[in-house]
Amino acid sequence: MSFQEIFIQQLFNGLLLGSFYGLVALGYSMVYGIIKLLNFAHGDIYMVGGFCSLSLLAFFGRTFIGNGWLGIIAAMLITMIIVGMLGVIIERVAYKPLREAPRLSLLITALGVSMVLYNSVMVITGGEYRAYGTGLGYEGFAIGSVFITHTQAILIVAAVALMLILHLFITRTMYGKAMRAISMDRDCCRLMGVNVNKIIALTFFVGSTLAASAGMMAGVYYGSLHFFMGFVIGIKAFTAAVIGGIGIIPGAMLGGLLLGLLESFGTQIPFIGSEWKDVFSFSILILILIFKPTGLLGKKESERM
Amino acid sequence: MTRKRWAIALMVVLLLSAVFGCSQPGGEPQDEGAEPAEAEGPQFDGEMLIGIMVPITGSEATYGKDMENAIRIAVGEINAAGGILGKEVKLTVGDDGCDPQMCTAAASKLVSSDVVAVLGGYCSGATIPALKIYGDAKVPFVILAANSTQIIDENPGWAFMINSPGFHQANAAADSFENLDVSKLALVHQGDGFSENLAELTRDEWEGRGHEVVAYDVVNKGEQDFSSLVTKIRSSDAEGVYWTAYHADGALLIRQLRQGGYTGEIVVADGSSSVQLLEIAGSAGEGVYCTSPPVVDFLPAAKEFIAKYNAEYGQQPGPYAGLSYDGTYLLAEAIEKAGSTDPDAIKDALAATNEFETLSGTITFTDENILAESNFIIIKGEGGNWVLAE
Repeated sequence: MSFQEIFIQQLFNGLLLGSFYGLVALGYSMVYGIIKLLNFAHGDIYMVGGFCSLSLLAFFGRTFIGNGWLGIIAAMLITMIIVGMLGVIIERVAYKPLREAPRLSLLITALGVSMVLYNSVMVITGGEYRAYGTGLGYEGFAIGSVFITHTQAILIVAAVALMLILHLFITRTMYGKAMRAISMDRDCCRLMGVNVNKIIALTFFVGSTLAASAGMMAGVYYGSLHFFMGFVIGIKAFTAAVIGGIGIIPGAMLGGLLLGLLESFGTQIPFIGSEWKDVFSFSILILILIFKPTGLLGKKESERM
Repeated sequence: MTRKRWAIALMVVLLLSAVFGCSQPGGEPQDEGAEPAEAEGPQFDGEMLIGIMVPITGSEATYGKDMENAIRIAVGEINAAGGILGKEVKLTVGDDGCDPQMCTAAASKLVSSDVVAVLGGYCSGATIPALKIYGDAKVPFVILAANSTQIIDENPGWAFMINSPGFHQANAAADSFENLDVSKLALVHQGDGFSENLAELTRDEWEGRGHEVVAYDVVNKGEQDFSSLVTKIRSSDAEGVYWTAYHADGALLIRQLRQGGYTGEIVVADGSSSVQLLEIAGSAGEGVYCTSPPVVDFLPAAKEFIAKYNAEYGQQPGPYAGLSYDGTYLLAEAIEKAGSTDPDAIKDALAATNEFETLSGTITFTDENILAESNFIIIKGEGGNWVLAE
């Protein structure tokens, strides 16, 4: 492989990894934006999405739908709805009663929810790695010695499409407008007649939906699921959200893609093993935060105080 | 008022259960474990006691029990054929619990029951403390499974290892890559002691044989995305990849290597020999090789043994059943050759073992009382299952 080919291949790998990070980071960022909560259970929502879709796909595999693309799309839609509802339930049960409590209490609750989620899945799955069987093969196209499978290409397109839909939803609909308004001043919104509870629930629904879709895509792409798989990606997505400017939707996407690309190119530095890639990417991220403490797209002022 | 009464009642119950819990006798004496001899069968000229030291309790009990079962099958066969030196073989079990302290107690117990020799040793940590005890008491000790190199260093000369020490796997891997016509090799480990050590040993072995290691890399545990590593391996023009770590991440790597368009050979180490690797890797797992210890499932010679084990215990033999069965026959042969139960004679006969045929291959000992040749076998992923290669 020539230098250019390695570059293109890594660009592509980084984009795919980055879109997973981005999809999860969006949920972090949205929830933080609207109720100032670092939802540490978000990575586990991603994991639940993976397992939920696996069960659905296994079920479809035995029906006429099959476990090819048709089954995957059907499973993804249903998974997104189920896990979105799960997000709403978690918000209602665990976070809503604490909405006026100090923020630390809310943070601890989020950690608790995370443990409940991954421990439940651990008990259900017996703590084993689960194979994610799909009817997809390894066919792809090669440009020179750059090799991209159809699955990878479709996943990137799907992730970008989801991000675009979200962007349109936030900027072009009344619900999106309400979300943005609540993130600025919740009490004022209530006075203006916005149904705050409903919009917050909707935010959790949308965020969980995106994480679930990412969990499913990861299952399809990597081929295995594990109850603890949400932990690492949760931390990385959180990082991505902070880098982009937490609470800012395009920032989360940008942060995710940036982190994915950094990791992808970080492994290719000569004489440095792959074990240093996190050191490399996080060093760059620290540098960014030194010069832009509010994140890449973060605004300088804050409207509180 | 009622609530208070309930609380008091609960406290009394708790107290009572605590008292009774503590007053229960701690540690019942271990059952001697020797089964009564069959009434019919050959006439014996006395008895011969052989010790078994395996973990019967604790986290590793499944493996210990499995080894004991296999030994009992072998001893049953030996007795049916007239015993050793015309004597009936009896067994007594010492439970090492995979714990150094319990191991010391078990070894002392076996020594004081005047065993002729001892079979066993599953956990290396619970085998090493026994080496000196058996050495001082002059009891030959056939180590069936434990294979730490520390055993080699601390062996006073009375122990014999019939499982290949870890460094034999590097030879097995190098052999298999040579058979696959690979000359540029990529090594990937996971940064933990075991897999890193194996990768280093394989690198030295491979370079020592005059070949080239073109990539030597590590993946972080818990990481799912290996695409960058795949690019690295592809751009290094490696013809073979050796994964020295465990099955869950190994399966991910195999999938992503194939997804990334890598077409060379893939070999994985014994930590990845689980069939789950093939399940997760799916079609990418076809044609992947694995350097595995001699598990009876893959040994053509072991069919009869597996059937017998199944019939006797109603389950499949575990990973060390074959070696345990082999070790028992090895010891029986050595005592026959020694012509008596004199410990020095048995030890010399064991040390002189040359090309002794067993289920898991031939046994010849080096001066260090370890196998002269690796007993690793090469298995191959085919149709979602491991089968013996070649």
